[in-house]
Amino acid sequence: MDQKDLKAIIEQVLSEMHITGDTAKAATAAVQEACTSGTCSQIEEGCIPDVTEVDIRTQYLVKNPEHGEEYAELKAHAPCRLGIGKAGARYKTTPQLQFRAAHSAAQDAVFNDVDHDFVEKEMGLFIVQTQCDSKDVYLTRPDLGRKLSPEAVQTLKERCKKSPTVQIYVADGLSSAAVAANIPDLLPALLQGLQSYKIDVGTPFFVKYGRVGVMDEISELLDAEVTCTLIGERPGLITAESMSAYIAYRATVGMPEARRTVLSNIHRNGTIPSEAGAHIAEIIKIMLEKKASGTDLKL
Amino acid sequence: MMQEIVRSVGIDIGTSTTQLVFSRLVVENLAGNYAVPRISIVEKEVIYRSKIYFTPLRSPTEIDTEKVKEIVRGEYAAAGIRPEDLQTGAVIITGDTARKQNANQVLEALSDMAGDFVVATAGPDLESVLSARGAGADVISEEHRTTVANIDIGGGTSNIALYEKGTLRGVSCLDIGGRLIKVEQGRISWIFPKIHALAQKHGIALEVGDPAKEQTLYELCTIMAGHLAQALGLLPKDGDHVGLYTNDGSPIPTEPAVRGVTFSGGVADCVYDPEPGDVFRYGDIGVLLGRAIRNHAAFQTVELFRAAETIRATVVGAGTHTTEVSGSTITYEKDRLPIKNIPILRVSEDDEAHLDTLSASIRTQMAMYRPEGVTEQVAIALSGAGRTSFQAVQQLADAILDGGREVVDSSHPLIVVVENDIGKVLGNAMKVKLEHKKDVICIDGIRTRSGDYIDIGAPIAGGHVVPVVIKTLIFNS
Amino acid sequence: MILKTKLFGHTYEFKSLREVMAKANEEKSGDKLAGIAAEDAQERVAAKVVLSQISLNDIRNTPAVPYEEDEVTRIIQDGVNETIFSEFKNMTVAEFREWLLDENTTGTMIRRASRGITSEIVAAVCKLMSNLDLIYAAKKMRVSAHCNTTIGLPGTFSSRLQPNHTTDDPKGIMASVMEGLSLGCGDAVIGLNPVDDSVESVARILKSFDEFKNKWEVPTQICVLAHVTTQTEAADKFNAPIDLMFQSIAGSQKGNEAFGLNGKMLEEGRDMMLRKGTSTGPNVMYFETGQGSELSSEAHNGWDQVTMEARCYGFAKKFQPFLVNTVVGFIGPEYLYDSKQVIRAGLEDHFMGKLTGVPMGCDACYTNHMKADQNDIENLATLLVAAGCNYIMGVPEGDDCMLMYQCTGFHEAAALREVFGLRPIKEFDMWLEKMGFSENGKLTPKAGDASVFMTK
Repeated sequence: MDQKDLKAIIEQVLSEMHITGDTAKAATAAVQEACTSGTCSQIEEGCIPDVTEVDIRTQYLVKNPEHGEEYAELKAHAPCRLGIGKAGARYKTTPQLQFRAAHSAAQDAVFNDVDHDFVEKEMGLFIVQTQCDSKDVYLTRPDLGRKLSPEAVQTLKERCKKSPTVQIYVADGLSSAAVAANIPDLLPALLQGLQSYKIDVGTPFFVKYGRVGVMDEISELLDAEVTCTLIGERPGLITAESMSAYIAYRATVGMPEARRTVLSNIHRNGTIPSEAGAHIAEIIKIMLEKKASGTDLKL
Repeated sequence: MMQEIVRSVGIDIGTSTTQLVFSRLVVENLAGNYAVPRISIVEKEVIYRSKIYFTPLRSPTEIDTEKVKEIVRGEYAAAGIRPEDLQTGAVIITGDTARKQNANQVLEALSDMAGDFVVATAGPDLESVLSARGAGADVISEEHRTTVANIDIGGGTSNIALYEKGTLRGVSCLDIGGRLIKVEQGRISWIFPKIHALAQKHGIALEVGDPAKEQTLYELCTIMAGHLAQALGLLPKDGDHVGLYTNDGSPIPTEPAVRGVTFSGGVADCVYDPEPGDVFRYGDIGVLLGRAIRNHAAFQTVELFRAAETIRATVVGAGTHTTEVSGSTITYEKDRLPIKNIPILRVSEDDEAHLDTLSASIRTQMAMYRPEGVTEQVAIALSGAGRTSFQAVQQLADAILDGGREVVDSSHPLIVVVENDIGKVLGNAMKVKLEHKKDVICIDGIRTRSGDYIDIGAPIAGGHVVPVVIKTLIFNS
Repeated sequence: MILKTKLFGHTYEFKSLREVMAKANEEKSGDKLAGIAAEDAQERVAAKVVLSQISLNDIRNTPAVPYEEDEVTRIIQDGVNETIFSEFKNMTVAEFREWLLDENTTGTMIRRASRGITSEIVAAVCKLMSNLDLIYAAKKMRVSAHCNTTIGLPGTFSSRLQPNHTTDDPKGIMASVMEGLSLGCGDAVIGLNPVDDSVESVARILKSFDEFKNKWEVPTQICVLAHVTTQTEAADKFNAPIDLMFQSIAGSQKGNEAFGLNGKMLEEGRDMMLRKGTSTGPNVMYFETGQGSELSSEAHNGWDQVTMEARCYGFAKKFQPFLVNTVVGFIGPEYLYDSKQVIRAGLEDHFMGKLTGVPMGCDACYTNHMKADQNDIENLATLLVAAGCNYIMGVPEGDDCMLMYQCTGFHEAAALREVFGLRPIKEFDMWLEKMGFSENGKLTPKAGDASVFMTK
């Protein structure tokens, strides 16, 4: 819309409001003057491109590089923020905003709760909670995040199959975004993998405010041979959606951390969740054969 | 991380020479402790090089299988290596030897005696690639950020492969070689017809029985060198040029322009290090051809790089660069491996776009693998691009099972080869859908083309991966 | 030793020096997690009051872990120069604080005092310092050390180039090394935290660093941050070139055991470095610490994280390191809750390290589950330079994609040098000028163009 259009519209509006004569003239003149002096910004159609869609591996912002093509190829081997140039000894604006956007996603993944509807209705998992009653407690009291609330103990006793060969559950951990992004592919692929090995699986569920260690209590409570938790990882700036699987044979409260087998970096740009599920199923199969996990288990 | 040594053999039966190398390939899991394994070949080293033998022939059109076997047996003994020590390897018949009538039998005979998973392979394109990789043209082009063509000049042919910054850009093969004219006791004893014609065109009178004159033959070699320069685009192509491509093959693309060259094959040493002495000491024109190339003005316009291997480039390529490893999360039935010489049924990218065309493509192509009404073993290959969600993988599994019903109903295992990292989840899906009634081999991380053959070895690196050789079996006919 | 005081008429009585030390700390989530923090703000001040009147002698006599039980305690106590200690032992913590801040007390005098005090004394005085006190006192102290070059000289400010990569891809790592160097990073060390810390992998990366360093004649030191035994094996088995030997350390024997470490291993590692290492020396060790690590391995013996951190420096000093740095915000919000606590901890650690007599740097950083952002970490870095910190980290735009945390970027050291009128280590500075990346201490337009290293 240019100035003329604007002026025409204002005149029309004024006339519809029955404002005529000098008042109207003064008003349109004022608008005209403001626009010509540049103080009137017009809102335009359009959308500024999404800064988070830029592939930082291929972004190259250095001006007049000596061997730019070669370096651009080299830096494509790193997922890091390279080739970003500079403004004085500071960052250029675009990479700075990209960084802030990535950090905002990471913080939201940590500090926002998982959507209960998604977990219950879409994933079909019931929810239990640890002894943490808020995100803040969860972040500052890891000990409470390793213990089930009394209600949770009761619910699990009532609703879960006892003594399963494999007990699988999902926990939010440090990324609610990881749960939303991966579980729809990861969990069914894992279950199908176990099915392909004809391995019996217990009742899966979701633990809110769960740390890795809560798997030990769950394992003891349900008497599972193998316990596997799919848990959101602490987000980085490359992705806020990364998930890990912690798996242990006959996990017990107070056992050494070294008894857990870990598979990390599960997300769409790492190990893709469906393939990761299939891989975890095989790890569990080997674990059952060897009756060991963690450093005791050579994979 | 865990390292594993895989031993490999390369056997090259060429127009003039037969050679063998043993290599060690170091396989390592490059992923950290808490990640899905990522197993790669991290190091390749030739540990034994055989003597160079003249290729034994029973007649000009027949390879002497028994003598070749004897050579191979002798070299295994000399190296102290038993066939069972080898996990992989390739036998390759190159140059116009590949046109010999019993080439196929020789390959089969050798691959059986050489080791459990030593595979047979052939074809001029492959030869160009293997010799160039053996010569190191790929690595040189990458390190120097340039385009490098390797010319592997053997007795009968010159195989060309062009690499740009480590990536293959084209291959080609010309009937130019060091033994296309043979010289015995100072006289010309044999002339390859195409070269004879080329000489005539340029008014060079040359007949079998004539005395071998250095100057005349050098003049002809300069013309041959000129054609190599034309093949690289260093000179404009003249009217004679097109006829010199082996089996009416085509030249390498004109873009990217060649900026550097390496030479391999028997004639290469005569290019790099010309030595004084009788130019006909090998009974052919190899020395003169090497000198002509070195002195040719057109070759002064590009950088000459020293090849890592010269006369052994092809055999080193066959021994160290044919084997790749699959992705590290795959599905297989151990008892079914190794399997060899399985034709690839490739679903084109267009057909892959929709599940119904994907199924149909498999179904229609299956007809080609039913020579006498009996279904042959095939490997169904596709990219799997974009089909990564659990749901998409289920649909893909259904489509493959639908299109490949004939395989499912046969006694063969179901073999699926995908590029995208979904081999395990796809394999599981198919197994579950087939109610565990069928052996499924589903590997990923492997790129294939229509017309390729695949060999899949027994699992290595703790069972995470299988060694794979993708090859062509098309001889020059 | 009196453990009782009144505040606004209310009596506060503490049971032990340990309790006083914990409660005198500025607020930290880690002390709360350990269940030893002050109940409220007033109790915190009461503890500070009590602590201020305790003599250095009493503090020395109350090590955090008994001498008989703990190797770290023995190393710290046995390292005290008794003559110097006797000059200070009757001072109260308050008096010692004022002596440190006094206009007549010079850096040299403090260096001498360092040899006569224990880590608990260092921690105690730290607890009575405000943030500006910590900066003001630390600024007086310079601790320099020499490996291939000399770090910590007046007028200089350095950075570690940390080219971490999610899969240790050699090309990706080198891309990062090149860009860091082109922005003036890496005079402290080029040091990688490997994903794969196997001997083969460590040796491979060290060799690639060495090759690059020699090819471009970069005057610096190289290091791969694996366990001491891994690095030793890499040198023995693969002839890996090592300029600096790295190790994470803790403030108690039990804490070190959690790292699979003891003093003897460090001694042997250092011996190996002096015999086989590629650097000039004599300072060939690189240690990393961080508040809270002892609590996380239940090795704090009921003591607070500031005291345990001070003991790391006491332990480190014995091995004459070239670099010591506190990875201050890496451990998470259960130890350092937010930016306020991270900034405080960074200043405390830097001050304590220097007062102990080790050359201090700081990895000013935060994780994404902490209430902090890049602005906070830039603040901390700026305060640290004001305090005369030897070096900070440099990663591409502050985002370490492998360790999944954020710290200072390649650009930060350069900007801070310009703001404070500081230069990199001299040889490195000259190299930057030779390469055309800087001129008179300022980045040139060419800086940041890593592609200059792409020539054959």
